[in-house]
Amino acid sequence: MKKLVLLVSVFTLIFFSIYTSYINTNTTAAYKDYSINRVLYWGSRGDDVKQVQYRLLKWGYYTGRVDGIYGAGTYRAVRRFQRKNGLKIDGVVGPETAAALGLNFKSAASRGVTRDDNVYLLARAVHGEARGEPYIGKVAVAAVILNRVEHPSFPNTIASVIYQPGAFTAVSDGQINLTPDKDSIRAARDAINGWDPSYGSLYYWNPATATSRWIWSRKVIVKIGKHWFGK
Amino acid sequence: MKDKRWFLPGILGLAFIVVLVWGFVQYDTKNDYKKMLNNEYQRLFYDMKDNVENVQVNLSKVLLAESKDLNILLLSQIWQHALTAQEKLSQMPVSHKDLSKTEKFLNQAADYCYSLIQAYLDGKPITSKQRHALFALQDNASYLSKELSDLHNKIMKGNLNFNLVRRREDRELDRANENIMNARLTKFEEKITNNYPELIYDGPFSDQVLNVKPRGLGGNIVDVNEAKEIAKKFVGIKKVRKITKFEEGKKSNAANIEAYTFSISPENMSKERAIYISVSKKGGKIIWMMNPRPVDRKKLSINDALEYAKRFLEKKGYKGMEPNYLLKFDGVVLFNFAYKDDNVTIYADNIKVKVALDNGEIVGFDAAAYLKSHYDRDLPKPKLTEEEARDRVKLDFDIENVRLALIPKNGIKEILCYEFKGKYKGSNFIVYINAETGKEEKILKVIKDENGILMI
Repeated sequence: MKKLVLLVSVFTLIFFSIYTSYINTNTTAAYKDYSINRVLYWGSRGDDVKQVQYRLLKWGYYTGRVDGIYGAGTYRAVRRFQRKNGLKIDGVVGPETAAALGLNFKSAASRGVTRDDNVYLLARAVHGEARGEPYIGKVAVAAVILNRVEHPSFPNTIASVIYQPGAFTAVSDGQINLTPDKDSIRAARDAINGWDPSYGSLYYWNPATATSRWIWSRKVIVKIGKHWFGK
Repeated sequence: MKDKRWFLPGILGLAFIVVLVWGFVQYDTKNDYKKMLNNEYQRLFYDMKDNVENVQVNLSKVLLAESKDLNILLLSQIWQHALTAQEKLSQMPVSHKDLSKTEKFLNQAADYCYSLIQAYLDGKPITSKQRHALFALQDNASYLSKELSDLHNKIMKGNLNFNLVRRREDRELDRANENIMNARLTKFEEKITNNYPELIYDGPFSDQVLNVKPRGLGGNIVDVNEAKEIAKKFVGIKKVRKITKFEEGKKSNAANIEAYTFSISPENMSKERAIYISVSKKGGKIIWMMNPRPVDRKKLSINDALEYAKRFLEKKGYKGMEPNYLLKFDGVVLFNFAYKDDNVTIYADNIKVKVALDNGEIVGFDAAAYLKSHYDRDLPKPKLTEEEARDRVKLDFDIENVRLALIPKNGIKEILCYEFKGKYKGSNFIVYINAETGKEEKILKVIKDENGILMI
């Protein structure tokens, strides 16, 4: 009988610890690292309002539901929060209040059309593919991706070229998801602005690790760092 | 006593059950992902098959259709379906080397039809030569379409599972090549190699545009040592401690501009990084230079930086260059200069100059575009006056600035336009009116933010 009790209790303990850790990672992930990109006030609706409500609730300023509707309750909670934190008491979530709430405020001016998303995606690919290469080698890798976009034998957008199945090992093994360093971002930007140290190449490969014999039938143009670049 | 004896096996048994459950969950999840991926590939395949069929059918209709209106509609449908098919094909789990020609075929078919639409709109109906090209395209499209329906039958019979053609590495792809899917597509690749006319047209994907030769290099061939001296002189001889050439491949003449590439170690190694520079074999021109040193303290204004950039270009012998737009990032400003011939801005002949905001040093230079396109042009005289062109612009477009510009069209062609900069409904635009025909050629939207100006 004792044995059974022990067994059951251990089992439930394990089960619940796994279950709760699973639930925890799920909910915190949803509210982590969020940014808002507009000023919020009475009458605003949306996920960004939920972020504000969630934080106010966690810190005890707000007692209502996290429903994404900026009503009287949220308004009063924001004012209480502002008074407590020495902010201007206006019941509006602008850049300063957002910062105090730990939310990243992006102004509307920097939104809309930019090339920053593409620069960052390209930088991630460069970081995954050419970490440890000289700067010029990083620019060349980014340039190859951009040359592919312009070429009929390849997809026509940066994302489609990078995520083409089997095209880049950094995509297959997930290294593309690493945070790019400053050099990779700079290299990506240089390539997007036109610098092309690969002279129009469409392929590059590392002779030490390349497994495909086909790649050697390419026209080899230049060797930079560990990579050969060619068409 | 009795409890102690059962304790260890109890724990082990429990661990075993936990592992079993965990394993099953993992197996189940893996199967779910596999199914999901397989479904995704199936959808891609069916969509692509439909797109290719549409291309084929519409091509045959274009050959029959007589009227301009219907032809333009049909051509735009081919354009759309071919691009979509290409996009889907490129996301299929088949290795690139077995697909590249099929992708090229679809892209060029789309591009070709788009150029025919433009020609039609300019009042030039399909010529008999173009008709032949369309016929060849249709022939190839119907072959591809047939291969795809054979594949479809195989899928229906359950002989093909996309999981077999999963990607990962080349080794796996080679094994997958034995798979039916690849075999079919490879067959099409073979056919297209032997039976595909080179399409002659103006468009970004045409072979003529891809293989255009640089025009602005000049005559003499320089050897490595001369090139080294040119490179040293460009960055300043005092700065150079060591200069090394990057190894060239056997087919270095496949480069869009044949060149020597050097890495220069600066004297002050502790503070600065290597500078990279490229010198063209023909003409000994500097194609590009990059100095990736970090810039910490920004002391200069944009205007100061512009003065540095202008002086630099003048010193290097580039005359008549005019700054057009700028970008600010990482402590540097990038200026885009375009060549100005008599009052006409020539956008194709552009040079980019990067100025560091700490001491005004030139940390980047790119003349590749200029060297590719610059030559002594015989500029046409505008047939329209500025007022006549202005009448072609939308009435309530608030014009701030007018000038003449030569803009690139479809890759290699250039057209002389009046450029109207102004505001419309609170946004900045540039409208181009052809100075010879009065046609409204292009509209660019200008986007300004704190980091610079972007034109799309």
